[in-house]
Order: sequence, then C-alpha cells, then structure tokens
Amino acid sequence: MTGSRSKSVVLWTFVIAALLMLSAPTVVVLGASFTAGNIITFPPDGLSLKWYGAIAQASDLRQAFVRSLIVATICTVVAIPVGTLAGIALAKYRVRFARSIQIYLLLPFTIPLIGSGIGLMLVFGNAGVLGKLWPVGIACCVINLPFMIWAVTASASNLSPDLELAAANCGAPPLQRFLYITLPAVLPGVITGSLLMFILALNEFLVSLLLVDARSVTLPVQIYNSIRSIITPDLAAISVVFIACAAFVIALLDRLVGLDIFLKSK
Amino acid sequence: MGVVDAEQPAVEPHDRIAVSVKDVSMVFGNVHAVKSASFDLPKGRFLTILGPSGSGKTTLLRMIAGFDRPTGGEIFINGQPVSAVPPHGRAIGMVFQKLALFPHMTAAENVAFPLKMRRHDARRILEKVERYLDLVRLGGYGNRRINELSGGQQQRVAIARALVFEPDLLLLDEPLAALDRKLREEMQLEFRRIQKELGVTTINVTHDQREALVVSDEIIVMNGGSIQQKARPVDAYRAPSNAFVANFIGVTNFVEGRVVELAGSRATIEANGLHLAGLAADATLAGGKPCAGAVRAEQIRVAPKDGHLDGLETVVDGLVVDCIFEGERVVYEIRVPQLGDVLMRVFDHDPESHLQFGPGDAVRLGWNARDMHVFAK
Ligand SMILES: Nc1ncnc2c1ncn2[C@@H]1O[C@H](COP(=O)(O)OP(=O)(O)O)[C@@H](O)[C@H]1O
Ligand SMILES: [Mg+2]
Repeated sequence: MTGSRSKSVVLWTFVIAALLMLSAPTVVVLGASFTAGNIITFPPDGLSLKWYGAIAQASDLRQAFVRSLIVATICTVVAIPVGTLAGIALAKYRVRFARSIQIYLLLPFTIPLIGSGIGLMLVFGNAGVLGKLWPVGIACCVINLPFMIWAVTASASNLSPDLELAAANCGAPPLQRFLYITLPAVLPGVITGSLLMFILALNEFLVSLLLVDARSVTLPVQIYNSIRSIITPDLAAISVVFIACAAFVIALLDRLVGLDIFLKSK
Repeated sequence: MGVVDAEQPAVEPHDRIAVSVKDVSMVFGNVHAVKSASFDLPKGRFLTILGPSGSGKTTLLRMIAGFDRPTGGEIFINGQPVSAVPPHGRAIGMVFQKLALFPHMTAAENVAFPLKMRRHDARRILEKVERYLDLVRLGGYGNRRINELSGGQQQRVAIARALVFEPDLLLLDEPLAALDRKLREEMQLEFRRIQKELGVTTINVTHDQREALVVSDEIIVMNGGSIQQKARPVDAYRAPSNAFVANFIGVTNFVEGRVVELAGSRATIEANGLHLAGLAADATLAGGKPCAGAVRAEQIRVAPKDGHLDGLETVVDGLVVDCIFEGERVVYEIRVPQLGDVLMRVFDHDPESHLQFGPGDAVRLGWNARDMHVFAK
C-alpha cells in the first residue's frame, strides 16, 4: 500500500515538474505580451493590449507573418501528393532499398539541421534562387517529409489488400480503386501529416535563416533579427499569435482525425 | 431459367456452360498450387469446391476472379477465354473470406459501389440497392456503417454487394469459416435460398464437408492441387472415387489388405489372413496389389458378442474402447483384433440401444459387402 502510494507521489511529482517545464516558456511569453510597460518582463508590469495593437500596425512583422504562411502553404501543398504516394507505396509494396528508406525516415532526428540547411543553401545558391520564398517552402518540405510519410504509412498499413481486390471485383479500374478505396482509407494519415507539415514549416527557423535575405524574411527570422537590436514586448505579442496558430492547427487535427491517431503514427 | 432450358433441349450445350476450366495450372516458385484442373459448370448451378487447407481452392477461385493469371491452361466464361480480361472487366461477384467491405462507407454505399462503377444512373442505383438489401433481409439497415453491423449482417451486406450488379457468376471464398456454428448453418441455408431465388451460377469454396453436402448441386473435391472427384453430393458421399474422397467426406473406416479376386464389380480382399468381400470402386485395382477397404461408420452394425447379425456378409469380433454420446447418436470406437487391431468407428442411431455397450465389452460387428468400397493404395 504505502509502497505504491509513495511511487505514485514520485510519479506525479515528475509529471507536474515536466508539465511546468514544458509550459513555462509559453506562460512567460503570454504574460509578458500583456504588459503595459515598455520593456519585456515577467510578471508583466500592469495589463494592456497595447503591444497587440503595435504588432497590428507593424507592417514588417505582418509581412513576415504572411511570408511564413506562404512558406508553410507551399511546403504542405508539395508534401501532400509526394508524401501520400510515397507512404502508400511504402506500406503496400515490398519496395527495394526498404532499409535505406527507413534510415531516410529517421533523418530528421539524426542530421543536424544546420547541416541540411547549408546543403540546401548551396543547392539553391547555385540555382540562383536564394531570396525567393518558394525555395524556403521546398526546403521545409524536404527536411520534414518523413513526418508526412510516417503518418500516411501508419494509416495505409492497416489497409487490407483484399479491399482493392474487392473493388476490382466490383468493376473498379485501377484509378477508381485508388480514388474511392485507397485514398479514403489513408485520409486520416494524410490530414495528420499535412497539418504537421504546416506547423513545422510555419515554425522553421534555422533553415529559413540560411535561405532568406532581407526582402524575404519569415516570421521566426524576423523575430530573431529584432531580438538582436532591442527586446520590446511586441515580440512577446507576436509569439503569442504564433503559438495561437499552432494551437489552432492542433485543435483542428483533434477535430478532424483525433489526436490518438497522430500519437500512434509510427 | 433451368425450366426454360429443360423445355428447349435444342439449345447448344456450350451455351449452357457458364464456366469452363480447361487444364488450368498455377505454379508459385516450386509450389504447384493447382495442377491441370478441368471442369465445366452449367448455368444456374451451385458448385462447391471442397478440400483441406492448402489444397489450392483459393488459388483456383482467384484465377477465375482474375486476380491471378494461370501459369497454364485457360478459363472460359460464357464461352469466352478470359485470361486477358482484368478483374474489373469480368462480371463476377465475390464474397471474400474476410468480407473486405469498404470500412469508410455505409452498408448501402457498399452495395451501391458496383453500380456506381458501372455508371448506372442515381435513381436506378437507389432502387436496386434497396431491392438487394431487402433480398438479404437488411431492409432499413442501409445507413448503418459497417462497424455498426453484426457479423451475420456484414455477411449479408457482402452478399448483396456481390449480387447487386447481376453478375454472370458468384464466387464465395469460405466466407462462413469465421462464424460460429449456428450462424454458419443459418447462413448456408441463406446462400442456398438466395441462389435459388436469383438462379445465379455459384462457386463456393469450403473445407467443411457438411456445408458442401448441404448447399451444393455439385461438389468438386480437391487435394494437393488436383481435382479428385466431381459429383453430385449424394454420389460423392455414396460412391467416392478414391480413398481420399472417402476419407474426407463422412466418417470412414479403412481396412488395409491386398486384392485376391476381382469379379466384375466385386472385389475380394485379404486382410490379416481374413477374406472380405467388397465393391470394386477403383478402376486401377489389380490382383495381388495393396488396397484399402472403406466402410462408413453408419454402415456398420453392432451386436452383443453372442448376438446375431443376420444377412450381413462380413462379421468380425471386436472390443469396445470408447463410447461417445453425441445426442442424436452414439459413436463407438471398437478395436478389431481379427483385422490387425484396427480401430473402427461405428454410429448407432437406434435410440433404444443407446449406451448399450461400455468400454471393455466384447461385441460383434458386421457390414454388407456392397458397403465396403475397395480402393487401390
Ligand atoms: N501467392 C502465393 N505464393 C506462393 N505460394 C502460394 C501463394 N498462394 C498460395 N500459395 C500456396 O499454394 C497452395 C494452395 O494455396 P491455397 O489456394 O490458398 O489453398 P486453400 O485455399 O485450399 O487453403 C498452398 O501450398 C499455398 O502455400
Ligand atoms: Mg483458402
């Protein structure tokens, strides 16, 4: 009795500590954004919405935010067809080089982003397209694509091969089988994967930093640039907007497919 | 349909053949899954392919459905060779072993799918879906999702989906194997009723001999990729063409020996020094060759040790080893020292003599010469 009691006390202590650590930055930023003062502090110095008003006026922040949205959209639009087809192929067929592909799927965890960032910078630099927005979108897509593929294969590997045969037997030619049977079956995985891709691209900092120039900064880079001069509470406010966007996407995911499928993705 | 054909004997016989399988083989690497199978199936018949697991039943069915291409031979449907026709180009309905219903669709959407693929117009689709859901007694269940239906109801959806486009042929790949016994027997009769109602040519696959006997017009028995016998259920049961079929359908006792005399349909075998008369059931029998005499458990009569078994040509002594009460019958296991200690199973359906003998009792058992089928070994 007492043994299991003290065990659960220890366990809960850890859980609470972990939750505090995870949420502390968000809470601090959230608090700091409502300050009425002129410097960023926590706890805030009085309460006001004036810094939210300030960022609504600041055209450079707003433009950077729009650029981030564009980058995230490009990334997602490219990732959906590529990741879906790759994910289905991986789950359905015994693909050659299956081992190498598995290693590729681990890349986001192993390769330092700075490494892939420099590689992409060289590639796009040689192509002479640095400073445009679409290479940033493509780069985010390349780096994060394994997440998309995982989400899709998790759905597709639950799919029985009999389903496509049954559809063929019902008179469906290959394209119809794909559209009416395979695709709906992997749709939860596609939704999960694309929302994930969107958030990751929206938040991407390091790679963006290497690929943008002064005219094409994305929001994380813009915030970083501002920090280097003076730290004003408007940065906290824009961060909160940012966090709200991510939270919205997560809520959408939960509504559409449920978070459990996202957590279960291999 | 059958009635019309019967009244018009002038119709060319090949017009009445729905499926014709000619020398079809299937080789996977070094596994010969189907070995040169041939049979014709007239329109409107219910054929069951019966065989143990791994005998090639599914492989044969998949080739007919068009999922696999035979490595040898040709399949004809309505007289046309179909090797080059993809599965979606064949008008064949199939009920899969695991049903393979589309999980993201409702029952009605599943049934509508074949019609949608054939571009029927929306109103007609609605009508037909309703009609076929009624046919399988699922009227009112159309809007249920698949996972909201019971096992038996899912079976019915699968049947409706396979039949709604009025296919030339219905294929059933052991769809009942996973059901509990009561539901399985109910669904067997249901298949039979629907098949009779629509007159659709049907090929059913099973390893359940009872199902084969109950539902079919014809049975094909397969073993190791080869067709062993094609016959009506009664004939497959009463006149099995070889020892495998005799053993696979029904409960059969085998007495091993060698042929001592062949006279017309009569064969005399010598087993453990005893001469037994039987029916020559195998064209390859020859004097002196090893053979097996097969006697069905229900063809053997049992009497007390000093009792009489009048009129039976073969009578031997035995010792009861076990007595199993199965409700409508008693099954005896009896050791027969005279035939080399062979263990014979005997059914006793006579209610008055139930549990007449117990383990250890000495008994006498006998059978008619015509009930022992002699096969070459
Ligand atoms: N795709 C395949 N590749 C290799 N061997 C197969 C394949 N399909 C079936 N077989 C083999 O062919 C034989 C017959 O299989 P199957 O037709 O499934 O038998 P049944 O349906 O009668 O149980 C088995 O020995 C099986 O292992
Ligand atoms: Mg099978």
